[in-house]
Amino acid sequence: MNRNNQVILLVEDNPDDVELTRRAFEKSKMLNEIVVAGDGQEALDFLFAGVAPSVVLLDLNLPKIDGLEVLRRIRADERTKRLPVVILTTSTEEKDLISGYDLGANSYVRKPVDFAQFVEAVRQLGLYWLVLNERPPVTGTRT
Amino acid sequence: MTEAPAQILIVEDSETQALQLRYLLEEQGWEVTHAPTSESALESLNRYLPALIIADYHLPGIRGDELCRRVRMNVDTRAIPILMLTMEEGHGSEPAGLDSGADDYVSKSVAPEILLLRVRALLRTSGTRASALAHPDSHFHRARILAIDDSPTYLELLAQSLSGEGYEVTKAASGKEGLARIAGNSFDCVLVDLVMPEIDGIEVCRRINESAGHSIAVIMLTARETKEDMTRGLEAGADDFVGKSGDMTVLKARIRALLRRKFFQEENRRIREELLRNELDAAEARAAQELTMAKAVLVGELERKNKELEAFSYSVSHDLRAPLRSIDGFSNALLEDYGHQVDAKAQHYLHRIRAAAQRMGELIDDLLQLSRVGRAELQPGPVDVSQLAQVVNKELQQASPDRQVQLVIPDGVMANADRRLLQVVLENLFGNAWKFTKNVAEAVIEFGVGEDAGVPVYYIRDNGAGFDMAYAGKLFAPFQRLHSESKFPGTGIGLATVYRIVDRHGGRIWAEGTVGKGATFYWTLSPPNGPKDSI
Repeated sequence: MNRNNQVILLVEDNPDDVELTRRAFEKSKMLNEIVVAGDGQEALDFLFAGVAPSVVLLDLNLPKIDGLEVLRRIRADERTKRLPVVILTTSTEEKDLISGYDLGANSYVRKPVDFAQFVEAVRQLGLYWLVLNERPPVTGTRT
Repeated sequence: MTEAPAQILIVEDSETQALQLRYLLEEQGWEVTHAPTSESALESLNRYLPALIIADYHLPGIRGDELCRRVRMNVDTRAIPILMLTMEEGHGSEPAGLDSGADDYVSKSVAPEILLLRVRALLRTSGTRASALAHPDSHFHRARILAIDDSPTYLELLAQSLSGEGYEVTKAASGKEGLARIAGNSFDCVLVDLVMPEIDGIEVCRRINESAGHSIAVIMLTARETKEDMTRGLEAGADDFVGKSGDMTVLKARIRALLRRKFFQEENRRIREELLRNELDAAEARAAQELTMAKAVLVGELERKNKELEAFSYSVSHDLRAPLRSIDGFSNALLEDYGHQVDAKAQHYLHRIRAAAQRMGELIDDLLQLSRVGRAELQPGPVDVSQLAQVVNKELQQASPDRQVQLVIPDGVMANADRRLLQVVLENLFGNAWKFTKNVAEAVIEFGVGEDAGVPVYYIRDNGAGFDMAYAGKLFAPFQRLHSESKFPGTGIGLATVYRIVDRHGGRIWAEGTVGKGATFYWTLSPPNGPKDSI
């Protein structure tokens, strides 16, 4: 699996959210490449193709394969089972929180309505997952 | 027979013949009950229904044919097959046996194998399995006769000859005694002498009809069968009129006829009542079934509505907030990237758009919480309310680091409640207290507990803006606000949520306030005299 240089995978189907998330990353001076997958299938295709992002930002409400199922398949696959996955979603429904953590999410962040708060959240996320966090060692046979 | 053994009732006055028959039948695995007379057989039918009756035709008292008729007259017993035993073939009693409603007859001298064949055939047709009666009731009893006559000799004669017929006879030597006996017993038939000293037959007859209506058959006895006497007697309510004589044949026949009519009428009434009762039972059962079905429909409906509500809340939580983020985010982008290109007014508008989007976000969050506390499963347990209050106030202090609020929170206040929901209550009530004391120089917020009707009453008191008691009733309704948004911002859902939580614990909440002097919110977490919270 190719350790790409600090790529972030954003799994998000809403173009507005994609744009605002990109903006929030810019605003918080995180200049990493952001790869966007518009649905769950795209996200899995990307991951299983051999690119290991630093972190996956995963929305839950997705077309085709929903976020929780994407997470389940990520954890079920030998190549991606240790990948840091942050659920970044609108819902704070308890059942989503529980399912998310049960399936092995590393974090659960709710997107706030206030953009200023969102920028702050993204800044902290980036700081933590891209700077502070030590990534898991690469698994699998391919390099 | 593979099922429970069939029960057979033998009605036979000869002990030896009964015993022989019993052995024969029990050998076949049937259960046998024996009654020596029709009267005792009928008595036993009051308690218990056999699958077959084997009756001797020649019985003392009520004969086999009469037994048949009585069994056939009763709805419960009419389906029981009856096998009549006759003396000899060609003796003349067979036709009588069959006429009376017996299903079959055999001569007593018939070979046991033949008898058993007949019994088996009848048991096959028998729909009646031995069963206890649903309504133990005196369908059958020996007819009770009261004889009233001032002549002891004739009274004795009456008693003896009627007892021989299988009746239960009570004697009374005067009209007065007769009436006294009637008052304390239930008789089917009264025989009364027309001419007696003091209270005569006419008077007795009249009184019987006054008190008992026509439920007792009355036969007037007289030595002189004059037209005048007959008219008087019948006018007084007698059912029949019989001349006194040593020969009891006529009297016996009349009694039999009268009683048969009376029993028939009673039986009819009983059947009518039973039908009515069955109809009532059926109506009741129908109503109960309809109720159950209606309930099931309602419960199903409620479950469906709850699921719908859950799905609705979920989609509100997801889909309604997303556009708000866009509105706020792009307004913010405009401000940041192009703010310098527009004047102050345009910038102000953009700020207003952002504020509205954020407020709507709060409204959605609060509404979701309101609907969530209504749906969440209660998980009560002991909660240290004091400690929870400290935690909540610490957060409020962090949210307003510049505020100086004097907090009064005693230690060790406990409650039996759902911890998470109680925290929502404290967050809202303390949050309000902080909010409404923001313009007070020395803000004091006090938490405490008292007691009312054996239940702890918790309270949170502040010395803030307060409210007009005239509007106290509106406090807990969703979207009701007693202060303008510009002075004290809020969604107006917090207290509705608190109310819902308190209500779900079986408690109640109320408030006292004075404008400009502060407010106190009281609440309980259990019904009065309900499971007591430990303090």
